Amino acid sequence: MITKTGLRAGMALGAMLTLPMAAIAQPANEAAPAAAAKATYSPYAARKYPMRPLFGDTHLHTSASADAGAFGTMLGPREAYQFARGEEVMASGKQPARLSRPLDFLVVADHSDQMGFFPDLQAGKPELLADPTGKKWYDLIKSGQGAVAAMEIIGSFSQGTIPKALVYAPGTPAYQSAWRNMINAAEEYNEPGRFTALIGYEWTSNTGGNNLHRNVIYRDNGDKAIQSEPFVTMKPWGSDDPRELWKWMTAYELKTGGKVLAIAHNGNLSNGRMFPIIESFSGKPVDKDYAEQRAKWEPLYEVTQTKGDGETHPVLSPNDEFANFERWDFGNLDASSPKKKDMLEFEYARSALAKGLKFESELGTNPYKFGMIGSTDSHTGLAAVEEDNFFGKTAPQEPSPERMTATFMNNPKTGIKIMDWQVGSSGYAAVWANENTRASIWDAMQRRETYATTGPRMVVRFFGGWDFSKSDIQTRDLAAVGYGKGVPMGGDLRAAPAGKSPSFIVAALKDPIGANLDRVQIVKGWLDAAGKTHEQVYDVVWSGDRKVGKDGKVPTVGSTVDVANATWTNTIGASELVSVWHDPKFDPRQRAFYYVRVLEIPTPRWTAYDAKRFGNTPLPGTAMTITERAYTSPIWYTSGG
Amino acid sequence: MTPTEPAPADLTDPDAAAGASRGRRWLREPLLHFLLIGVALFMFYRALNGAGDEAPRSMVISESRVDALAENFARTWLRPPTAEELRGLVDDYVAEEVYYREAIAMGLDRDDTVIRRRLRQKMEFVTDDVNSAVPVTDAQLQAYLDTHREQFVGPGKVTFEQVFLSRDKRGDGVERDATQLLERLASPSPPSLLDVGDATLLPGSMRDATPADVDNTFGAEFAEAVMKAPAGQWSGPIVSGYGLHLVRVEKIEPGALPGLAAIRPAVEREWQAQQRRQAKEALLEQLLSKYDVKIEGPLGDAMRAAATAGAAEGKR
Repeated sequence: MITKTGLRAGMALGAMLTLPMAAIAQPANEAAPAAAAKATYSPYAARKYPMRPLFGDTHLHTSASADAGAFGTMLGPREAYQFARGEEVMASGKQPARLSRPLDFLVVADHSDQMGFFPDLQAGKPELLADPTGKKWYDLIKSGQGAVAAMEIIGSFSQGTIPKALVYAPGTPAYQSAWRNMINAAEEYNEPGRFTALIGYEWTSNTGGNNLHRNVIYRDNGDKAIQSEPFVTMKPWGSDDPRELWKWMTAYELKTGGKVLAIAHNGNLSNGRMFPIIESFSGKPVDKDYAEQRAKWEPLYEVTQTKGDGETHPVLSPNDEFANFERWDFGNLDASSPKKKDMLEFEYARSALAKGLKFESELGTNPYKFGMIGSTDSHTGLAAVEEDNFFGKTAPQEPSPERMTATFMNNPKTGIKIMDWQVGSSGYAAVWANENTRASIWDAMQRRETYATTGPRMVVRFFGGWDFSKSDIQTRDLAAVGYGKGVPMGGDLRAAPAGKSPSFIVAALKDPIGANLDRVQIVKGWLDAAGKTHEQVYDVVWSGDRKVGKDGKVPTVGSTVDVANATWTNTIGASELVSVWHDPKFDPRQRAFYYVRVLEIPTPRWTAYDAKRFGNTPLPGTAMTITERAYTSPIWYTSGG
Repeated sequence: MTPTEPAPADLTDPDAAAGASRGRRWLREPLLHFLLIGVALFMFYRALNGAGDEAPRSMVISESRVDALAENFARTWLRPPTAEELRGLVDDYVAEEVYYREAIAMGLDRDDTVIRRRLRQKMEFVTDDVNSAVPVTDAQLQAYLDTHREQFVGPGKVTFEQVFLSRDKRGDGVERDATQLLERLASPSPPSLLDVGDATLLPGSMRDATPADVDNTFGAEFAEAVMKAPAGQWSGPIVSGYGLHLVRVEKIEPGALPGLAAIRPAVEREWQAQQRRQAKEALLEQLLSKYDVKIEGPLGDAMRAAATAGAAEGKR
């Protein structure tokens, strides 16, 4: 496999001894304020902060996931790691696939329920075929109707109707060997400093088709992870209640001395359950215990992925002209129940962050104090979400002339129909880790020093403090100033000095091979004295000499996209945007959060590349351009803290 | 499925398998062939005469088989079977064996994709198992490393400084500015680096960076150019997606092959992968050699034509 991928992979293998971050040197004449307390001769010696974000995917399924396997995914975790490391692999549809650049890390997060079920079903294990449903799925798969089987598997799992004989539960030899196989694969491909294979799984709580999924990510190596099997939702072995997952996490840490965290995703398919004020399992209001547990175990939220973007929704943010983005608001995960407007506020990150402030004022803990990451949730074993290199969400959606007009999901009972073109080519997780190791990446996740991108690898810095000024951004090393005088994304500002309002350094650098940037915004949310939450989006820095309009907004950057040829030019936008921003309406008594949204200039969406390369005609209404973006973890201000 | 059900792999009685291997030499005896033909003719004529009263075939259920059935039961129920239960287990096993033999005799396995795939998989598992059972030695890995150097040679490393000139800020004048600045930097009294170029989030310098590191930060074209830039002097401009860069490379180290100790896990992983692949290919090759495969129809014709043409090409 390596032999074919040539120089790049070879270089990469050899690079394992080098920590990439260490390579970026700091200008010699400028001492980092962070290190100013005790100056060292070597300007590198005291530097304790990351110089380059690591890009990866925290949410990739392989053939070990029952539904992915049924969809026809042949790639297991080893192939997934090879691909993420930059090697060329053969996709399930037998076409070669390769990333433009390697990723720095990957979490293979296969569904804990039924883990390993699919390889056995595919192999035709007699026990599975003895069951009529198992036999039916097997026949469907063998007759080339894997997608139908996959939908049935997801459906029967969501609705709890999966036959007893087909349950793969912890404690069974089949399950144990499946988990051991996942761990072994991660151990084989984990190369500290070069490529990190974090151990993880997805806990797929999906009662009634309402998505409450969480990815569990281990800080630990295989020796600890193997000591306990993943938590499942299937009773009696597991539960679909997040509180029970948190108990399992507690028990794991007690038993092994290890560390785990959980990342929820796709609130947009939870039908109002992802960020509750009333717990759906008990029917009781969220209490102090729930708030504390959730805050403890879930420091991050996956805010963008193939099944839609989760930052905010036009109904929730009517004044945000960029809110209508890669929207999936049809219903729940299996399209068995349609969406109602009043569900939205409990599904999206921005409104949840605001609700969190209110909870904190009432319960003393903010259950929704999360940072942001993006990931793929691809079920192909391929973490490929660049628009010009999108390998789809499931194996049938790998590049083909059919995928742009095919149906992804169709529930005649609810009338919900989702087309393949609506699947988004998104996203990745960017992590400000000091080193490319399991421990270092996990620690950065835990302190929320992360951001989400919808695919491009832009570099985004965000620091909050009380003393940032314009002169700070003239420096050649923003990070030194940022860490020296403030806190990075994911951090806290407390106790405002009298008469001061918080100041923020925002800085964004375009993807080295990507599109220019349109603008950088700060999204502020706050809680007023009456207990009401508010939000506002500020344009902070933008390309060109556009003047703020009467509506207070910066006019659109325009577009250079040639849809027919799937091209664009960097003749508009800026390659780099940096600024210092002061909150003009700061009230030291009000709790608030601030996060950064970076917008690229419009570029061709994956559908445009498909239309160009396959020469086919998109369905009416197909989105052909995209405004790619990044969302940082917030910085919170807490009064009197 | 239940946790302790016997693996489906357990279709052959180990005793019977051992007997089969001992018997293999006999299979080549001409006398045996003669006898077998005789028996076959005998059976054929009996069948023609409609006689159904053939002597019963023997089925031996060995003591170890009975013990294994009892053990399986105990693993599920956490107690040994009673005598009655054990008889039931044995009866069931006999029934299974009878059905199995008769089904095989009738060729029911042949057109069943499930059974065929499963058997193929078992064959492949055997080779996988054989491989993972053998511990790899340092000598083997060293040999692999020696013959696959290109896979493990470390990348080159570069240490350089760069001055950035923003196209966003300078517009069309950026090339002219770059040329002028290059002259100043090369002059006997160069300006301080802090006073020239445009502020940027890009690092002003990189130390011992691999081409991949440089690529990740500046893009591929820049990375390629900087690895070729002359050491010890200012050169450029190099164009990146951000603008223009003047660079001064301090040193470029060519890639070196690390010792085995430093990269043993990676070498072992690649070695194992190669072993698995080779063993699988070898097994298939070996098995294929026992067959003369003929594919019929237009496809077969086309394949034969291609093979003949290929052979003729080879001769020339």
